[in-house]
Amino acid sequence: MLNVKDRDLVLPGQNLGNELFFDLNCYSEDGVVYSAVEGMVRVDGRKVKVVPSSGGYIPKEEDVVIGVVAEVLSGKWLIDINSAYLCSMRGEEVTREKKDLSQFYKAGDVITAKVARVNEVYSCELIKPWKMESGLIIDVNPKRIPRVVGKQKSMLNMLREKTGSRIIVGQNGKIWLKDGKVDLAVKTIKRIERYAQKQGLTDMIAESLARETASN
Amino acid sequence: MSGDDDVILIKDGKRLDGRGFEEVRNIKMEVSVLDRAQGSAYIEWGKNRIIVGVYGPRELHPKFLQDPTKAMLRCVYNLAPFSVEERKKPGPDRRSVEISKVAAEALSSVVMLERFPNTVIDVFIEVLQADAGTRCAGLTAASLALADAGIPMKDLVAACSAGKIQGQVVVDLMKEEDNFGQCDLPMAIVPRKKEVVLLQMDGKLTREEFNSAYALAFDGCMKVYELQKNTLLASMKKFVGEGGEENGD
Amino acid sequence: MEIEGYLKKDYITNLVGEGKRADGRRFDEYRSIVLENNYSGEKACGSCLVHLGKTKVIAGVSLDIGEPYSDKPNDGVMSTSAELRPIASPRFESGPPNDESIEVARVVDRGIRESGAIDTKKLFVEDDLVWIAFIDLHILDHCGNLIDAAGIAAISALLNTRMPKYEDGKIIYGEYSGKMPIKCVPIPCTTVKIGNSLLMDPDTDEEYAMDARLTVATTDIVNAMQKGGNGAFKEEEIMSAVDMAFEKGGQIRKIVTGD
Repeated sequence: MLNVKDRDLVLPGQNLGNELFFDLNCYSEDGVVYSAVEGMVRVDGRKVKVVPSSGGYIPKEEDVVIGVVAEVLSGKWLIDINSAYLCSMRGEEVTREKKDLSQFYKAGDVITAKVARVNEVYSCELIKPWKMESGLIIDVNPKRIPRVVGKQKSMLNMLREKTGSRIIVGQNGKIWLKDGKVDLAVKTIKRIERYAQKQGLTDMIAESLARETASN
Repeated sequence: MSGDDDVILIKDGKRLDGRGFEEVRNIKMEVSVLDRAQGSAYIEWGKNRIIVGVYGPRELHPKFLQDPTKAMLRCVYNLAPFSVEERKKPGPDRRSVEISKVAAEALSSVVMLERFPNTVIDVFIEVLQADAGTRCAGLTAASLALADAGIPMKDLVAACSAGKIQGQVVVDLMKEEDNFGQCDLPMAIVPRKKEVVLLQMDGKLTREEFNSAYALAFDGCMKVYELQKNTLLASMKKFVGEGGEENGD
Repeated sequence: MEIEGYLKKDYITNLVGEGKRADGRRFDEYRSIVLENNYSGEKACGSCLVHLGKTKVIAGVSLDIGEPYSDKPNDGVMSTSAELRPIASPRFESGPPNDESIEVARVVDRGIRESGAIDTKKLFVEDDLVWIAFIDLHILDHCGNLIDAAGIAAISALLNTRMPKYEDGKIIYGEYSGKMPIKCVPIPCTTVKIGNSLLMDPDTDEEYAMDARLTVATTDIVNAMQKGGNGAFKEEEIMSAVDMAFEKGGQIRKIVTGD
């Protein structure tokens, strides 16, 4: 039995219903399911989940993230992706030989990688690394990243096309940019972050990009 | 608490600031007020002005402090030197350390610490202007700041005090009432289960007076809870999509 | 750990080489300055919360009665302290003041003390008894340029400070008589060197990318200076920074005094 409808805004401790399947942003007590965070509840039959409206990045399998090498150990690296825990990346991702791994990535290097496995404490394994040599990294609220990408990457593709910049979006709230009109791209991304809740956001951004590129 | 008989705290059935016995002071709340902190909240409660910032979960150093079964929740309650009329020297004093402890314990009862072993969640309560009831106001704001940081919790924590002035049990003491009254009873609750997670008392209360004071403080907490909910909902409405464009989920 | 710092240094340096700043400001442009005067006005004698861009610093002034310094028996006393509260940045920790917070306090103090902003002669009460002014700087949100934000907050707080009533050997808190005697308005202006360029009012990224920084506090003369950072300045860069400090200081002074 449900006490909420799809897309309702919920708060920590709010009763969602009973005899429901739920995700990690909910908890159950005596058969009743409650929200553990503030956010929007999504209902799918007897399944509920809460999409948090705030908070940091929680690693998810298949996510692309941008991080910094925090430590080089024998056989693996520890990577900081600005989440509660450091991630690890096995030496085998880069080399089969038993070499000093700092020859490949040393502390302070910035890499893009994919999240392979996440354990129950949100600590994760990264694979398929790629080093970022230059360019700019900006901070974006992880909760707004989906808006920056857009449905089927519509927003991101428009950004790339209109600015000519290379852009890599890390789901952990980091975006890498290089070449083309990076200033315009950064300005636009900050705009998207600010007006994330607006309907018709894609049109609004398309308009402002058209204006900015026309005047140059 | 001096129970000073010379100071008049009730006149014509009203308190010095015009409130009734069961009236809580004016409260304003806001979240996401700081840029660096991962979660933050601001509260104005009567003349109290308090900002709370939350960091975490983040790595806890030194390593020997880490708990492999859960996160540690640390709370630092701090009065700015200029927050009170007679300047308070910077640095923790015994009162601040005690308040930090009971506040951390209250919050630890709701935060799902087992989700984040070996980490720490830091809660910083900065009192910028103090007028009695700062621990209740600070704790109320801390609960909002934790929600703002997206840290999973079983419920919010709502706090309010009660007390006794001139033989009359009242809710939410202000400064003069705290200084010259006969009892101060701060309380914090977990609203859904109606359980008490902070309770302190100093002064003199008969058994019946305690029952009245408890009830007043509890009601005060529930009123505060309503405001907390409205604050969080209002802040969410600003950023959650209203249909149309998918949020990518 | 703040990961963006690592690539940002190169990006900011390149941008500066092209004559641009990440947020589009001119090199000599300050971020928006908003003052909330009397922020703790119900309790503090004087106070001001400054928003310098996203940096937030609050200064509070408290007054007490005590003994003067033995070499200046007719002058009131001023004392400045700063706390980089851990709420302000993931880098700050709880604990006694470290060298960064002590530097902020001392640089702000010098600007106010050396300019004679507080008319300490008027703080004399009677033999062996003077007013002691405590200026407490509370950093709440570190988004770059703490010294300027703190300095602007301090002088703004002093300008709205009321003197407590002193009767029969006791301070009567909550009652006031007169305002703090202020003779001038010193403003600190910080310039950083990135590559071969000078930028004013650095934000967090620019502070990370900088080679060196120079703070100059001015009234109609120079009252305090502080060089920070591991790099070095050439003579013409210092002269330039001083000129810019006079100009910007004048503009900021108008905001502070409300002219």
